[in-house]
Amino acid sequence: MIVRTGLTGAFPRSEALVSATRDLDRGRTTAEAVEEIYARTETEVVALERRLGLDETTGGYLRWPDLFRPFAETWEGFTVGPLTRWLETNTFYRQPILLAPPGRTPGAIAARLPPALLRSPGSSRVILPGPYSFALMLDNRSGETEPALIHRLGRLLGDEVRELRGQGFATFLFSEPQIVVRPPEGPRAEAVVAGFRAIEAALDGGTSIVWTYGADARPAFPLLDRLPVSVVGVDLAETEVDQIPAGPSGRGLGLGVVDPHTTLEEDPAEVARVVRAAYARRHPSAVFLGPGAPLDLLPWEPATRKLHALPAVRRALTEGAP
Amino acid sequence: MTHGLFPTQEIGSLAKPRWQILGQRSEVLDGPAKEELRDWDARVGFAKEAPAVRDALLGGRPRETGPEAVRDLGALFGLRFLETAGLDRVYDGEARRIEMYEYPIRQMRGFRFGGHVRSFDNKYYLKATVTDEVRLDHPYHVDEFDFVKAHAHAEPKLPLTGPYTLADWSYNEYYLARQPGWKGRSARRAAQREFVVDLARRAIRPTLSALIDHGCRVIQIDEPAAGTHPDEASIVVDGFNAATEGLDAEFTMHICYSNYADLLPTLLEAKRCRQWAWEFANRDTAGHDGYAVLKTLAEYGDQREVGLGAVDVHRDAVESPETVADRIRRAAKYLGDPGRIWVNPDCGLRTRSLEVARAKLESVVKGAAIARADFENPRR
Repeated sequence: MIVRTGLTGAFPRSEALVSATRDLDRGRTTAEAVEEIYARTETEVVALERRLGLDETTGGYLRWPDLFRPFAETWEGFTVGPLTRWLETNTFYRQPILLAPPGRTPGAIAARLPPALLRSPGSSRVILPGPYSFALMLDNRSGETEPALIHRLGRLLGDEVRELRGQGFATFLFSEPQIVVRPPEGPRAEAVVAGFRAIEAALDGGTSIVWTYGADARPAFPLLDRLPVSVVGVDLAETEVDQIPAGPSGRGLGLGVVDPHTTLEEDPAEVARVVRAAYARRHPSAVFLGPGAPLDLLPWEPATRKLHALPAVRRALTEGAP
Repeated sequence: MTHGLFPTQEIGSLAKPRWQILGQRSEVLDGPAKEELRDWDARVGFAKEAPAVRDALLGGRPRETGPEAVRDLGALFGLRFLETAGLDRVYDGEARRIEMYEYPIRQMRGFRFGGHVRSFDNKYYLKATVTDEVRLDHPYHVDEFDFVKAHAHAEPKLPLTGPYTLADWSYNEYYLARQPGWKGRSARRAAQREFVVDLARRAIRPTLSALIDHGCRVIQIDEPAAGTHPDEASIVVDGFNAATEGLDAEFTMHICYSNYADLLPTLLEAKRCRQWAWEFANRDTAGHDGYAVLKTLAEYGDQREVGLGAVDVHRDAVESPETVADRIRRAAKYLGDPGRIWVNPDCGLRTRSLEVARAKLESVVKGAAIARADFENPRR
């Protein structure tokens, strides 16, 4: 079994970074001092990712206030809207408001990536919103229909991928909770497929991962199986493994095996058992293991502790370790 | 206590006045804080009940009085603020509380706080993990209630965070670990139910019981998390029923910013809930009737009272009394019974200035009076 591991979303901020950013808001420190702590914490996240043998590094996306903000702040047609609940959690994002058909600003997203990634793009994982979740979670006042918007966002994200490929990035994870929370049907489903086709066309041999979370993925599998992506990921805290449709997929299967909704540490042997069961159902080309949903639902310390399950599970799966 | 048609009530916290915040820190009041204290004292008349505290604060001698006395004065202010607005049921504006999660959890054992979680931007909150069986150190909010009871002229009503919300805002470690095998969806759900019911039985119920022993007759159980996971409505119900089992008081349940229809009919199994206190005004916009969901409640034949959110706490624009009256009339039509309606703000008014909060409360009272007159004198 080929096993790959990596983060699937933002990592929590360290307590030092929490204090620093709070102090910045209260006027008790300077932006320069906070920048130093950002850089130091990103370095710590990258070091942790390397120490745990994760296949790509992310730097934790600590500076991104939420998944959409870099786009809402830099792409054309957007403004930043009100606080909105993030799925079924007690955390919030600022809903992007789309006032006109969106347009990319070249270079803007690359400039917002964790600086640590820019130094070694080939071993980095770029995390971006998927076109469907992006379209559903913004306030669309552009006049564009939802299917047209999903497709357009797919094309724009494809352009983003093309630019980042040019800089050496090769692995792209698209965060797509809404595909399982509100599975698209009809024209919306076709628009999702078309959107990912546009992304796939820009990949040029790179790896694309669609990561779903927030609900049981079972109803969305017919669509997920149609997406032209390298890996489809599901959160095993939401989807029971015996409900994953059987049959060879011929591509990677992502399994969310670290649950950010609880501080309880995963038992590597139990995780390995479940991964083997999923593997036997799908016979994927490889399994991609990671947190089921972004780990920033946890504080820094338990998130760090729980992540240690990944190398232990990999060992259990590839070396037969208990 | 009996009430006429459309009695009015508070629903949650008020913004803390600047003089209270500075006074609690034993800081000398600045000009605006002094002016605020004098102004509101003139309008609602509270400081004369504690002249020594008032004089110490206005005289620049906060250390002479101490933070607890300032909190008492804050509670008196909240009480008089709500009473003089004309509300029938009041509390103290939650003058002694800072938030609704950490304080209750810190009165219990079995929890460990383990760091900050980002709420949004650079805002964070502490979230505890339940690591052992929940146990109550001692019932809480009791001293707070005693003070309100001793000073209230109107009927007091105490708000308290419900077991489902406390559990949902915590990490479940202890109860999840007890589930055998893979901690997937069904294990998580079972563990959450066990956690909520344990919290309800071991911590919330003893607290409610102590409050009732101290004379508390009306208790609002706040469950803002209820709408976050509509498929867990049965767990909300189990928690509510376990918390109130065998207790004799008027219990109400406050939920806000949720799709209530998704929680029905399961929520109706909350046996001792006498009133649903829900937010409606926030969703009552041009082209969208925010009260239409009451038809669903009526279709299920539910006969309980409704605490009708009639003013939006997220906007500064103050609803006119006529707007409030119109909302009451619509609700009465959908429920088919005006006698079951209480009128209140959608939620706590703490995000509004005291000036806006007061104006909204006055609209609630005046709007209820208009609607009451309509129903009592239909040919007028």
